[in-house]
Amino acid sequence: MESYQYLIEYFENSPPIIQVVWVMSCFFIIIIVILIIYFKYLRGHLRKNEKIITKHQKEYESYLISFLYAGNEEEEISKDQQTIIDKLKSCAVDEFKRRIIVSTLLRLRNEISGEMAEAIQKLYFQSGLISYALSRLKSKKWYVVAKGIRELTQFHVKEVHDEIVILVNHPKKEIRKEVQLYLVTLFHFDGLKFLDVLQTQLSEWDQIQLLEVLQHFEDQELPNINSWLKSTNDSVVAFALKLAKIYNQFEVKDVIMELLAHHQKTIRVDAINVLSYLQVVEAKDILKNNFDKISQEEQIEFFKLLENLCESSDEPFLLAHVTHENFEIKLSALKILKKLNIEKFKSLEELSPEPEYNRIFKFLAYNQL
Amino acid sequence: MSEAKKIVLAEDNSTLSLLLKFRLEKEGYNLLIAADGKQAIELIEEQDPELILTDIMMPFISGLEVISHVRNKLNKQTPIIVFSAAGQEEMVLKAFNLGANDFMGKPFSPNELVIRVKRLLR
Repeated sequence: MESYQYLIEYFENSPPIIQVVWVMSCFFIIIIVILIIYFKYLRGHLRKNEKIITKHQKEYESYLISFLYAGNEEEEISKDQQTIIDKLKSCAVDEFKRRIIVSTLLRLRNEISGEMAEAIQKLYFQSGLISYALSRLKSKKWYVVAKGIRELTQFHVKEVHDEIVILVNHPKKEIRKEVQLYLVTLFHFDGLKFLDVLQTQLSEWDQIQLLEVLQHFEDQELPNINSWLKSTNDSVVAFALKLAKIYNQFEVKDVIMELLAHHQKTIRVDAINVLSYLQVVEAKDILKNNFDKISQEEQIEFFKLLENLCESSDEPFLLAHVTHENFEIKLSALKILKKLNIEKFKSLEELSPEPEYNRIFKFLAYNQL
Repeated sequence: MSEAKKIVLAEDNSTLSLLLKFRLEKEGYNLLIAADGKQAIELIEEQDPELILTDIMMPFISGLEVISHVRNKLNKQTPIIVFSAAGQEEMVLKAFNLGANDFMGKPFSPNELVIRVKRLLR
């Protein structure tokens, strides 16, 4: 009791700053103790949960394997398989258990192919898990809808195409992304038809993901992309240009040339890039004649095209730009000249007193490009 | 009656391991399952299997390290089949350079695996 009294007196007689420090220290000690208790509880809870998940997972794994080996050739679904389906049906009523069942099926579905993969698909349908995924599509929460679409994609459920395609212009970009992946993963190049009706922007990341999915298919025949190149949605045009380049769509060169007059600068630059890749010589004269009217980014891209498609008739044009104010254009013009006519290139050594010009010239003269 | 040939399977997907265990045991093999590369090496040293099936990406020790251990440390010529996922082509080349005998890209057909196992154990 005396020691308490002593502590109280000590506190009361301390200067205010010491009192504040004591109060703060006590406050933080209490917070730390509460947090330690909370984290201990949380860890215990998570470990317990993990144990329950592992237990259920093992149970469902054995159901799944038994199902896969319980089939016979006489019946579509054997008696043993029906028993397993009934067991899984009753477990799937509980959302927690349903999540474990779905993840167990997917873990195997992603690793195997052939008859067994088809049997897993059959189990997904027969156990009623598909109806839960479908009911998710009607949820008001966007992440529930997105997860539902992803599950249907992973299980290759083509039958719900019409229900999913209507979400293609959904206000939430996460849902739109899942819809696009569903269509392309399951319907391959035909799935790209959503581009005809897409009103929202297709982000660069969305485009990369779609291209990544498309490259895995055996059939690499692209449908006609003319309408996408003419789309009023600029992101669709940008994506169509990527498709034209990756899938060597030389037959759409005329539509791509029309894009040289597109209202968006990035599209015009991309169009020059694709024309250069496809080696469309006709584009050269159009761009050369409009060179002074186009933006600097387009001019730089045009010089990259010239590096690809240069001819000796381009010499006068190149000579007119070897002292261009832009570094990249200057470098490109001199580089092409060196390639076309080495004697002419050598004669340009003293053309300009500008240090940048001289550095570029020396670099090109002494390096093999 | 001859004893069943032992196969060590190193695979971190327990569902796939269980499926392959059923399938290969049905064919008369004795399948020993390791959930990671570390367990696989222990099993190989203890059991001296006739065949090794290993995934490339595994916790603790990768499939490549398992192959290297078998070929360079244990100096064994036990046939090895490697499982690889899409996009692991470079890893597969490394696995062959280290001494793997065959590979199967995921997703694969368990029936096809059985054919390859039988071919290697003939």
